[in-house]
Amino acid sequence: MGSYLIKRVASLIPILFGISVLIFTILHLVPGDPASIMLGTNATPEAIAALNKSMGLDQPLINQYLHWITGILQGNFGVSVHTGEEILPQILKRFAITMQLTVFGVLIGWVLAIPFGILSAIRAHSKTDIVVRVFTLLGISVPNFAIGTLLLLGFSLYFNWFPPIDVVNFWEDPIEAFKVFILPATTMGIVVAAGVMRMTRSAFLETMDKDFIRTARAKGNSKWTIVIGHAFRNSSIPIVTIAGMQIGYLLGGSVIVEQLFSIPGLGQYILEGIYQRDYPVVQGGVLFVALVFVLVNLLIDLIYTWIDPRIKY
Amino acid sequence: MKKRVLAGFFLSLSLVLSACSGGGTAPAEQGKSAEGQAKTELIVAAEQEPVGYDPHKVPAASSVRVYALIYDSLTKLDENMNIIPNLAEKWEIAPDGKTVTMFLQKGVKFHNGKDMTAEDVKFSFERIMNPDTGSIAKSYFSSVEAIEVKDPTTVVFKLKNADASFVANTASAYASIVPTGSTDLTKEAIGTGPFKMEKSESGQYVLLKKNADYFNKELPKVESIKFQIMKDEAERLAAIRSGKVDISMVSADSAKLLEGKPGVQIKNYQSLEYSYLGINVNKKPFDNPKVREAISYAVDRNQIIQTVWKGEATLTGPIAPALTNSALDPATYPTYKTDVEKAKQMLAEAGYPNGFETQIETAATYPDMVETAQVIQQQLKAIGINAKINQLEWGNYIETWKSKDMNLMVGRNTSGVDADRSMRFFFSTTGSANVWNYSNPAYDELVQKALTTVDQGERKKLYDEAQTMLVADAPNLFLASPKNYYAVRDNIDFTPSAAGEVYSLIKTSIK
Repeated sequence: MGSYLIKRVASLIPILFGISVLIFTILHLVPGDPASIMLGTNATPEAIAALNKSMGLDQPLINQYLHWITGILQGNFGVSVHTGEEILPQILKRFAITMQLTVFGVLIGWVLAIPFGILSAIRAHSKTDIVVRVFTLLGISVPNFAIGTLLLLGFSLYFNWFPPIDVVNFWEDPIEAFKVFILPATTMGIVVAAGVMRMTRSAFLETMDKDFIRTARAKGNSKWTIVIGHAFRNSSIPIVTIAGMQIGYLLGGSVIVEQLFSIPGLGQYILEGIYQRDYPVVQGGVLFVALVFVLVNLLIDLIYTWIDPRIKY
Repeated sequence: MKKRVLAGFFLSLSLVLSACSGGGTAPAEQGKSAEGQAKTELIVAAEQEPVGYDPHKVPAASSVRVYALIYDSLTKLDENMNIIPNLAEKWEIAPDGKTVTMFLQKGVKFHNGKDMTAEDVKFSFERIMNPDTGSIAKSYFSSVEAIEVKDPTTVVFKLKNADASFVANTASAYASIVPTGSTDLTKEAIGTGPFKMEKSESGQYVLLKKNADYFNKELPKVESIKFQIMKDEAERLAAIRSGKVDISMVSADSAKLLEGKPGVQIKNYQSLEYSYLGINVNKKPFDNPKVREAISYAVDRNQIIQTVWKGEATLTGPIAPALTNSALDPATYPTYKTDVEKAKQMLAEAGYPNGFETQIETAATYPDMVETAQVIQQQLKAIGINAKINQLEWGNYIETWKSKDMNLMVGRNTSGVDADRSMRFFFSTTGSANVWNYSNPAYDELVQKALTTVDQGERKKLYDEAQTMLVADAPNLFLASPKNYYAVRDNIDFTPSAAGEVYSLIKTSIK
């Protein structure tokens, strides 16, 4: 276990290095540079040259990469080429927001998904099951920008309620934060729920067919004892896997939800960086997201060993 | 056991329900807090995040709308596009047009308490003209030879040649006056303007507080302005309808949706922008003037106004019609009367009886540009020209624009405050924004002469001739000049105009 952990953490180094090279190259291959975008069709060639020079973009690419990566290794993510703002504090601040949104969204999703998924599996082909399956199909097929727009317009037009526009953290003002995050988190939660519900249903259906369940039944256990005591734990590996993947993706910033509700999260920060060709912002942001994603995956792998003691690393 | 499971299930269900009801009870509280105290803060929805506040370096509209409230320029424009005093209370132009003397307002202070003097004006203009600054306003003041400080409130601009656009150009926000010695204006914004920078929260808002020492004692009328960043149009619509923001720019489509809704008024004005179809005059077959003329006859500009802008735009020439003093009436251009037969015939004369294949570049970021390209695609098909549309991401679009190697390109320009910008900057042989490879010595001579002609009547004649020449040569087809729309809450007294949002915001009051 210990050596496994060391190995996994050590493998982060080549992964992150590869990502740093990849993102740097891709970003610089994309047509357009920050100065031209900033100046638009009002640009004069000399203005573009002067601006690029002031951003250090007149240097050879390899020098720019080395300059950036040495900074990163020293914990210096650099500054935004447009606003001159330090990047790392921005990333951390925005990650905190994205994290709250994700946790809230995922909680809503699970609370909806797991009980209903179980219910739909043990009452397979009943009316409940059909309702649940229609819901999951809707949740998966309706894009989240549509759900979000409907929620936003629905609440503002019919209930005359619009979420507070300034984002606050849960640890500063839980009630206000709840109001800020409830609509975007619900938007996220519906999509999360659909995926998890499906997985819960199929995992349970499969487990309920296993021999040990039949044995448990033969022993005369009640249906719910079997579901909670025997089937739940044995079905949770695929559920945890999909939940882990979802958290990993969502922590990278759910760009659409953040954009729709003006939540200044990490995804929005990176997206804006891409539009503006703010190289250090995108590079630093993507590297950070990659790190988080890899760490979440590691955590999920560790949770497996707790769920199923047969799994050993 | 069974009970416990059910209890757990209902607990989770009630959590979800309470989450919903938590949202539902909020409106009452919000209504109270809004009515409880007199409102002094104006909330403006910002579609884009500002990208820095250095007026000499950042031309992005998202930044200008903020920093133009913090800084002042020497002159400004009123709603009728006349030049009026600002930091300069008056000015004199020598008879030969080569010396412009600006007399500054007395007692104007920067936000840090220092007096604004002629030295600051000299410093600001020299900063703009310094190539290392990379200011796009440098091209506005290329005629300036020297700047002399006569006394603390008098500054003299010596010009290399008479420059009739000089005073108008000093109205630009890009020519804001900054304190002497400023180096890095991205860090702190210190101007003389009606508002001070209070706080900028990346991704969320920019808060400006009233400058109590503003030289015009009657302005501004609100205590603070908050630019709330809301990138999604649906969110802005919901916010303006529920009263969370007071002012928001909206698209023509959304304006129609909001029309007649309680609490919201729709206001519009004729913008200085126009859409165009750019033609690379170096590329075959567009190097043949007959082909360009044929395209000009084939394109039905009125259809573009009807389909793309839902009728809420006007025909335009090279100068947007909002510049009433300079723009020529589009009815005078013969090619504006669509004539498909004539277009086909001209194409045949040029050697393309069966038309040809080509590409139209457009920016995916702007739906109106894409729609314009699609309408033109259909119209060109009628004369046998098959055009493929390339929808480019904005950065890529700018790159293509700069390359001077496109075939056809749909875009949007903003007419400057003076005719010179629309004409020379975009179309003279050496014009920075002439990416169409258009070069006509007769045209160059006309616009150069117009620039140095101080007599306004004479100048207008020269520009009329230049506009007619440009439309006939057709390096661009000038298509439509749209209206801009604002949604404004009923209790806000805000009247937008082509003079710009800042001009209106300063005068805005809350009823």
